[in-house]
Amino acid sequence: MELLAPAGNLEMAKAVVENGANAVYVGARGWSRRRDAYELSDEQLHEAVAIVHGGGAKLRVAINTNMQSSEIPALLDKMEKFVGWGVDGAIMTDVGAIAQVHRCFPQLVIHASIGANILNNEDVKFYRAIGVSQVVADTKLTLRELVARKADGYVGIEVLIHANKCYTYLGKCWMSPYHRLERTTDGLGKDLFRGSPNRGGLDYRICLEQWELYAGKLLLEPRVALKNEAFFYLDDIPSLIDLGVHCLKIQGREYPVPLVARIVRFYRQLIDAYVAKRPDPAFDLRPWRLQLEAIQAERDAKRTNMTQVLLNEARQPVPHRA
Amino acid sequence: MQTFELNTTISNLRSLRETDLSQYDAVYLGNIYCRTFQENFLERLDDLSEGIAQVKDRGLRAYVTTYAAPRNDALPKVQKALETAANVGADAIEVHNMGVLLMVHEQFPGLPVHIGGFANVYTDAGAAVLKEHGAARFTPNYEISLDEIKAIAHSVSLPAEILVHGKMPLGVSDSCFLLEYESQWDEKCPAVCQKDLFLRQRDWAMRSVGRGVLSGKDVCMLEHLPALVADGYRMFRIEAAYETPAYRFNLARIYRSALERVAQGDNTVDELAWHTVRQHTAVGLCNGFYFGRTGGEYVGSQGAAAEVCWLGTR
Repeated sequence: MELLAPAGNLEMAKAVVENGANAVYVGARGWSRRRDAYELSDEQLHEAVAIVHGGGAKLRVAINTNMQSSEIPALLDKMEKFVGWGVDGAIMTDVGAIAQVHRCFPQLVIHASIGANILNNEDVKFYRAIGVSQVVADTKLTLRELVARKADGYVGIEVLIHANKCYTYLGKCWMSPYHRLERTTDGLGKDLFRGSPNRGGLDYRICLEQWELYAGKLLLEPRVALKNEAFFYLDDIPSLIDLGVHCLKIQGREYPVPLVARIVRFYRQLIDAYVAKRPDPAFDLRPWRLQLEAIQAERDAKRTNMTQVLLNEARQPVPHRA
Repeated sequence: MQTFELNTTISNLRSLRETDLSQYDAVYLGNIYCRTFQENFLERLDDLSEGIAQVKDRGLRAYVTTYAAPRNDALPKVQKALETAANVGADAIEVHNMGVLLMVHEQFPGLPVHIGGFANVYTDAGAAVLKEHGAARFTPNYEISLDEIKAIAHSVSLPAEILVHGKMPLGVSDSCFLLEYESQWDEKCPAVCQKDLFLRQRDWAMRSVGRGVLSGKDVCMLEHLPALVADGYRMFRIEAAYETPAYRFNLARIYRSALERVAQGDNTVDELAWHTVRQHTAVGLCNGFYFGRTGGEYVGSQGAAAEVCWLGTR
């Protein structure tokens, strides 16, 4: 059972390893499903490999945006560099990019990202065939569906235990760029597609706006919610361990380092405590729940603030490129 | 003489019977968002057989679409729909999901596959993988520009189908938020999502169809049709799964007429056509992401008319 933690910067990479992560994922700047402020430059990524390996953990690099066709050669160049530095795996979405990376680097472990939106067992077969060895389970899947996937046995399962559960399926939503898309290229010519979570990583969280619902001209409801909730798993952790999922993943590159370190430490201790006693149907989660409530309150305050900043940003006019 | 395909989507038999399809060449049958959509072809296989037969009787091609986001519990029904489509002689299957693509490829290799917009074709490399799995055409992900689409189609030699008019899909969910509120309304599931429902906040608007979210504005590529044809596109879609028969017919009439004029070298659009287009939009017009900009923007001569005209109150 691997505990996978995020690193939105080098300080976070160090902190999560020190707090018990077995593996760490970072985003290559311009190429992962987060805004560029929470991604690493190539030089930083090289440094992250040393930090994470030095702490006895593995490093995965997220290159999981849906890039442009013309950017795939640059992706392969980047990947060659990363493989040379010893990254332990790549997290990817685009089926074409996955197939090409697998062809060029057959030994590299490829994880199908949450953005690939792998929903059923036939999906898993497809991704396995193009070179994926581990898939991230969509946050909407039930434990029963995970059991069915595990029963197939030919691919590793990764379950998000701290993440957002959007109203729409991840990877199948472009509400944000419908309202604002800013085309900006970085110094290396990579299009950052600001506003598109699939293409550039920055999501304005449009779904969390205070929507009114109209039927024709008639106001039906003055306030409706397209639910997008951040969650922590707790009750299901023992079941997931017993089920033998390969990896429990914590999202949160955008949160402060101390908070992420605290989340990682919490899950490390919970997993170790349960594994030491398993199988234990009487395992008492109550003290853990109290700890988690405090963490959750801190996370929620940060998230609410970030959402407001993003929604305000979404209302800003887009400077058009010549 | 250039030949074009103009197609649309129809979710159930009742809607098929009510629609004048004389301006179309092909129809996609089924509702991709929701298994409980009223009399969804994909859940009522006798209706699907009947629908395919009716479409073919009218001299059109009958395509069967499949769910945008099928979980394991939907696959047995998808399997039955594929068997029905194959047995009754559907002309193609539209897939939005890699698992369903694999099912068609392995079990029904004779059925042409059209890759749908939710299948996320963003790159030529991705399209090449899907072509290896039997794809005969693709609808690109709605987020990519015409420049990118053109490069993909040429690089992979796979024809692209272009959404030229209608509400662009923006997302699909596993749950329907309307169910949380319907107890207070007169209409309930499965009828409620067919009302003209819009999510609105200041100048933002999106069409809600329960499990699906669509653009509030109608994508309109009418004045850009000559450029699309010049770039080699021949298959065009009017996205109208949640629209009225009048919408389907009137918009198709306009696009058919425009395509015929383009084929004769006349690239004009008459003012009467614009009048009809404006009559059939509640919120305004946009070009989606075709010009590499924010999806809700409109590029072209109809810029002013495309501005928000909230439900005809402009």
